Amino acid sequence: MREIFEKALKNRKNSADYIEIRAEKKEATTIHFQGEKLEKINCSQQAGGNVRALVKGGWGFVSFNQFDDLEEKVREAIKVASLIGKEESKLAVISPVVEIINRELDKDFRQISLREKKDLMENYNNIIMKSNPLIQSSNVIYSDRFSTIYFANSEGSYVEQEKPFLSARFTAIAREEDNVQMANETVGSTKGFGIMEKISTKAQRAAFRAINLLKAQPVEGGEYTVILDQTLGGVFIHEAFGHLSEADFLYEDERMSGLMKLGKKFGSPKLNVVDDGSTPDLLGSAKYDDEGVRTKKNYLIKDGILAGRLHSRETAAKMGEEPTGNARALNYRFKPIVRMTNTYVENGDTPFKDLLSGIKKGIYAKDCYGGMTTFETFTFSAGEGFMIRDGEITDPVKDVVLSGNLFTTLLNIEGVGNDLKMIESGGGCGKAGQNPLPVSWGSPHLRIKKVVVGGR
Amino acid sequence: MEKLLQQVCKEVDSAELFEAKSKTIPVNFEVNRLKSIDIFESEGKALRVINKGRIGFSSSTGNEDFDLIVEKAVATSEFGSTASFDFSRETKRSRKEKINVYDKEVVDKSIEEMVKVGEDIIEKMKDFNRKLRYDITILKDYTEIEYLNSKGGNFSYNKTAIVYSVMAQQIEDQDMLIIESSLESGKDNLDAKELTSEIIENLKWGDKIVPVESGKMPVIFTPKAALVLILPIISGLNGKMVLKKISPLASRKNKKLWSDLLTFYSDGTIDFALGSAPFDDEGIEMKRVPLVEKGEIKNFYYDLQTAGMAGVGSTGNGLRAGIQSEPIPGISNLVVEEGKVSFSEMIKDISEGIVIDQVLGLGQGNIISGAFSNNVQLGYKIEKGKIVGRVKDVMIAGNAIEELKNIVALGDKAKWIGGKYKFPHIYLKSLSVSAKK
Repeated sequence: MREIFEKALKNRKNSADYIEIRAEKKEATTIHFQGEKLEKINCSQQAGGNVRALVKGGWGFVSFNQFDDLEEKVREAIKVASLIGKEESKLAVISPVVEIINRELDKDFRQISLREKKDLMENYNNIIMKSNPLIQSSNVIYSDRFSTIYFANSEGSYVEQEKPFLSARFTAIAREEDNVQMANETVGSTKGFGIMEKISTKAQRAAFRAINLLKAQPVEGGEYTVILDQTLGGVFIHEAFGHLSEADFLYEDERMSGLMKLGKKFGSPKLNVVDDGSTPDLLGSAKYDDEGVRTKKNYLIKDGILAGRLHSRETAAKMGEEPTGNARALNYRFKPIVRMTNTYVENGDTPFKDLLSGIKKGIYAKDCYGGMTTFETFTFSAGEGFMIRDGEITDPVKDVVLSGNLFTTLLNIEGVGNDLKMIESGGGCGKAGQNPLPVSWGSPHLRIKKVVVGGR
Repeated sequence: MEKLLQQVCKEVDSAELFEAKSKTIPVNFEVNRLKSIDIFESEGKALRVINKGRIGFSSSTGNEDFDLIVEKAVATSEFGSTASFDFSRETKRSRKEKINVYDKEVVDKSIEEMVKVGEDIIEKMKDFNRKLRYDITILKDYTEIEYLNSKGGNFSYNKTAIVYSVMAQQIEDQDMLIIESSLESGKDNLDAKELTSEIIENLKWGDKIVPVESGKMPVIFTPKAALVLILPIISGLNGKMVLKKISPLASRKNKKLWSDLLTFYSDGTIDFALGSAPFDDEGIEMKRVPLVEKGEIKNFYYDLQTAGMAGVGSTGNGLRAGIQSEPIPGISNLVVEEGKVSFSEMIKDISEGIVIDQVLGLGQGNIISGAFSNNVQLGYKIEKGKIVGRVKDVMIAGNAIEELKNIVALGDKAKWIGGKYKFPHIYLKSLSVSAKK
């Protein structure tokens, strides 16, 4: 691939300030059981690539499946970029790298037969379906993919990275007359097939939770003190805060960047938030991001103070900060944009039971159905909820959706637990149509006051 | 294509080949100026086979050897579901003969013209308020679809789309007002003025923040927000959800559930709507399928396989969510019939309530049960028959199946949303609203 890329770049270097070429080859398998039936089993192969060119501050981008005439794609990208460019191009300086990164998997899922994968998932599906007569249906979705990503730019970088990914999602659907409830359990990984062989407790838990939800009352709407478990705490920090740390929202917007000024107080001194793409083999990890920038550990909040943000080469240069290795593209169809990797709240020192104490009427919210944010307003749905009464976890409640303003909510975090867990789920993060990008998140238990919960 | 299919049929009973090729060009403006121009080209093939009575599927983009696709499709058929259908022998439209989904002017529209459209919108918005941030995308899309099966069914068509979308953002202290609006069509006939005047009206209404107290109150969903109520119903009418008995609507066919005012249908034959096509993605004629008539469920919607399992016919709703997906029941376009009351009359009718225009968390949560719970990202307070300002930190929650029983009126002017939904304003007698104290 390197020769093809270099040939396409060679004659064009002078007509743009910067050019990069990316290609991806991928093979993927999906197995989906629904209810008693195997709903879908399929295999796909994908190959594609893209060219991005920067001319006088304007970006042109072309993505494609046909590599026949790569030089023509480079020309096209430069041509559309030239329609925009009226100013000076700015990119943070990095030293060119040449590296080929292969992944050795312990039990490579490409070597496991389709039958073995299917039998294993069928077994999990049976666990869900046979666990209780009130289980009406299920979804067991297994998917794996192995991608190789090739990258070269006009500054002399060439990086090849192999990226394995596999996930399983278990949904149990329970029904009692018109009352239909469901619960999800997921697992995601960048490692071997081994992890898939020991998750029968996840299947059992999905069924157990769905049955329990049948008995749960809808939560009463209002303002509560809530405790978030590690999953929901992780989703909260990712959704509500993490997205605002992505510098592409800020760098050309004075008012936004004013709100996100480094050094501003964001929470109590107990609050520390990190994004780290360099942790080995988590869902959001890679040695280099999709601009060939080395990933690293970045503090976003340190001792309650806004300490950093996430950058691409362009946003770093424009804000006069260091690049952080956070330019990521979902796949070859898309251009890299600023994204999180593995984002978490560091441990505090309050044990779980101390977080509960003193709460007269509150909510313990666990797991997650999903979350969304637009700038300062966030909303996310708990997969499971319980009322807290006089410091004790009591009756289950359902349809718990938490919402609020990021800035006040972070300041309202009044307790940080000491039980951090990184969550690797099969889902991912969505932004600008690029969904789901593999990321991980985590948190210790968090106690937050004055959270609005929607309810009937 | 025919040759490839003949090659497959040496190994399996029957087969179907679906090919899609597209070119999408968005021109993006960020923070009031032109930022990037993208060209997305894509092409791919999907092969579905029936082998010894079982379904196999495989897909590919790029230049892979066709043999490999065949091999994988055959391999998956070993475990695949038992086929409860045959590929359609005839792909001929019996009703409306021609569905218009292609406009050459969209294909011919130059990037320079698209840039100009975006620049004009920004100028128009700046004339109203120079201090706000505007992000704009002007997009055009051209797609070619080709379909062929070994039973004789075959069709092909070309399709175009054009989209103008605008986001206006106003920041004061720690308050952000975000207004999003877009226009979509298969034909190059969009009027940017429609967009800018709607956004300017919303900016005026949203200027002042007013408090609201928790409780039950009358609400109006604008066409943009109506999906909050309609999405859970669409999901409950999906033939697959009905077949698996997951849908709470499964046993409600031909029973009166909602007000007489509520009538809606799926319709893939509307000229230049984005969900329209002569055939669905497995060769069944697209048509108008009444889903709810005067508050009664009339039909569920099906693809071939689900219909076969349920012992009914496909409704022409077998859609693919991309080249890697097999057809599943999906909605082409959805039209909710208009009522007789104007938006301003609805407002006048309310002494205290809210207008819901944009929500966060659409489709999040336990949709199939009918439940919804959303942050009102953009909503307005009504007092004594007048809009008095914008609400903030407010959530709405309910169960769509229940709430739709409380329709007071439907708007007299339905609007296209996302190019495939046509919704009027929906005025509900009462809905639960939670607000920050």
